[in-house]
Amino acid sequence: MQFNNNDSGSRLQSEINITPLVDVVLVLLIIFMVVVPLLMEGYDVDIPRASADTSAQVAESQLILSIGSAACPILTPPAGEGIPKDCQVTLADQKIPAAELPARVASILGGRPAEQRALFLAVDDRLNYEGVLRIIDLAKSGVEDLKIEFVATD
Amino acid sequence: MRLGEPTPIKAAINITPLVDVVLVLLIIFMVMAPQMRKGPDVNLPNTTKPNGQGDERGRILVSIDEARGLWINDQPVAAGHFDETLRAAVGAETNPRIVIRGDAKLNFREVREVMIAIEQQGFRGVGLIAKRTGAEGK
Repeated sequence: MQFNNNDSGSRLQSEINITPLVDVVLVLLIIFMVVVPLLMEGYDVDIPRASADTSAQVAESQLILSIGSAACPILTPPAGEGIPKDCQVTLADQKIPAAELPARVASILGGRPAEQRALFLAVDDRLNYEGVLRIIDLAKSGVEDLKIEFVATD
Repeated sequence: MRLGEPTPIKAAINITPLVDVVLVLLIIFMVMAPQMRKGPDVNLPNTTKPNGQGDERGRILVSIDEARGLWINDQPVAAGHFDETLRAAVGAETNPRIVIRGDAKLNFREVREVMIAIEQQGFRGVGLIAKRTGAEGK
């Protein structure tokens, strides 16, 4: 009987406590998932068509945003967040500071039905790509489901 | 308790080899994971609120690196062979999702030329891939 008691006591101690081990493995798994995100983020845009049919496409109601390299001199990747304060863009033939873009785009496109909420971009070729994406980001922050389409520039 | 009876200790499953295997698999995956990413390392533009573009598996990745080299998925593409390489990458897929991973240092011209080349193959709409400001990753 005494022998049996000893036996049951040692059986309890012989079980490996896997909880900390599982903790470590799960934490490693989470680190692994965070370090390697295969999910991408970005902006859906429509591609500029061949220049031939672009001029016919530009109708009255289309909201055109022009970004020129003279008024908005982002020629190298902008430092920090956002875009430089001296950047001016032309929205519907009006020159405005880029910082006003969200409010202006929202006031013009906010009342339109969802499928007409499109912004047509005429972008200077010399501008920095990161700067252009940041301006798109700014414009999209005014209207959530904004469609972006590029028009050809010469 | 008789001497011939099996002891209860032996009845427990020995999980140590199992855990060893699992840990080794985990380490293998951790080492391999950076190579699972398709395409070259591109310094993506930082923006504040990019929208989700889904998993890169199942997308066709067109990358433009800092030296203006073109890549489709894993393969660098020679200058004159972009069109046929893209068609080969799309294959029989009827509604391919194409995304452009452009380096932050590029001019808009280089990205626009690639967009036009994609459009000329009959594919409307691409995703321009950015990186959320402050987020890790390439």
